[in-house]
Amino acid sequence: MAKAREIRRRIRSVEKTRQITKTMEMVATSKLKRATDRVYAARPFAQRLAEVIGRLLEPELRERYPLLRQPERSRRAAVLLLTANRGLAGAFNTNLIREARGLVQRLRQDGIEVELHIVGKKGIGFFRFQRERVASGRTDITDRPTADDAASLADPLMAAFERRELDAVYVVYAQFRSAMSTPPRVLRVLPVEAPKEKRHDGHVHNYILSPSADEILNRILPLYVRNSIYRALVETAAAEQGARRTAMKSATDNAGEMLDILRRTYNRARQAQITQEIAEIVGGAAGLE
Amino acid sequence: MIMPAERLRVAVISPERTIYEGDADMVVAPAWDGQVGILRGHAPMVVLLGHGDLRIRLGSAEEQFFVAGGFLQVVDDVVTVLSERAEAE
Repeated sequence: MAKAREIRRRIRSVEKTRQITKTMEMVATSKLKRATDRVYAARPFAQRLAEVIGRLLEPELRERYPLLRQPERSRRAAVLLLTANRGLAGAFNTNLIREARGLVQRLRQDGIEVELHIVGKKGIGFFRFQRERVASGRTDITDRPTADDAASLADPLMAAFERRELDAVYVVYAQFRSAMSTPPRVLRVLPVEAPKEKRHDGHVHNYILSPSADEILNRILPLYVRNSIYRALVETAAAEQGARRTAMKSATDNAGEMLDILRRTYNRARQAQITQEIAEIVGGAAGLE
Repeated sequence: MIMPAERLRVAVISPERTIYEGDADMVVAPAWDGQVGILRGHAPMVVLLGHGDLRIRLGSAEEQFFVAGGFLQVVDDVVTVLSERAEAE
């Protein structure tokens, strides 16, 4: 009797867990849909911006633009790590943290001083635990990042780069290839890697440029940097939901499998108990005769 | 000589989404140094924007947006407005 009751209790507990993971899976699925829409909606701006920069920029003249400055020797770099505020998303946060640690290590081996800027409780928690100095930690960015969020991250870094306090800025984020594939990536946002213009539809010399190519570039290069960070934010947000959905789906499946086994064991125990009771009754009756 | 298309193609894009996409007869934008009007057949141009109203006219209808910063590009009767601040009014 005791054994069957024990199994029943476990069945009930696993059922409740499955209910929770199932719900989380559905929540992640609906958030994923909206997050994916935001990833796609962000593409036209980035594309057109890259097109125009590629068209206006003469690579030989890059020293004229502070954001394109290539330092001869890198002394100090910033690493901006994007993680989630929440867990229960499989190896999502761990992968990002591992990527960031690898990058920090490589930079330090090259004698570069690294300052860490982290978005998301998970990343901040890890590096604080490692007793790393976290130059800035942000937990206020939701799973719907805005262009303003990106600007508030990018602007201080750009200012430090222009003041020559930083020689490079890297972003560690999760690339959103699909809901199933969200590998961690490192993107160097500063100095700006100038996008190359592939199409040669009409020379820039025929363009009316107002006020001038230099001034236009100096105004729109910061847009490009902010936009790179914005895209990293939305891709990471979508990747988080994708990873959580996958993790919760396999948790739900596993709970289902476990329930099958538990139910089978429970039935066997129940039948054994009934058989035993009958045997006892039969035995008792036989004893009376 | 490239024949101008029937109408201008206009897109207003912010980092977060495409705010407007459609045809127009005329676009009036707040350039950094004053208003700039664009009709079809305009020479290729890239101009920085200040802040103010962006008006897109098609027939007697007019769409109006507020933009601050960013730039406007015209190539082959395609007008692209990229701005971090762009809202329908």
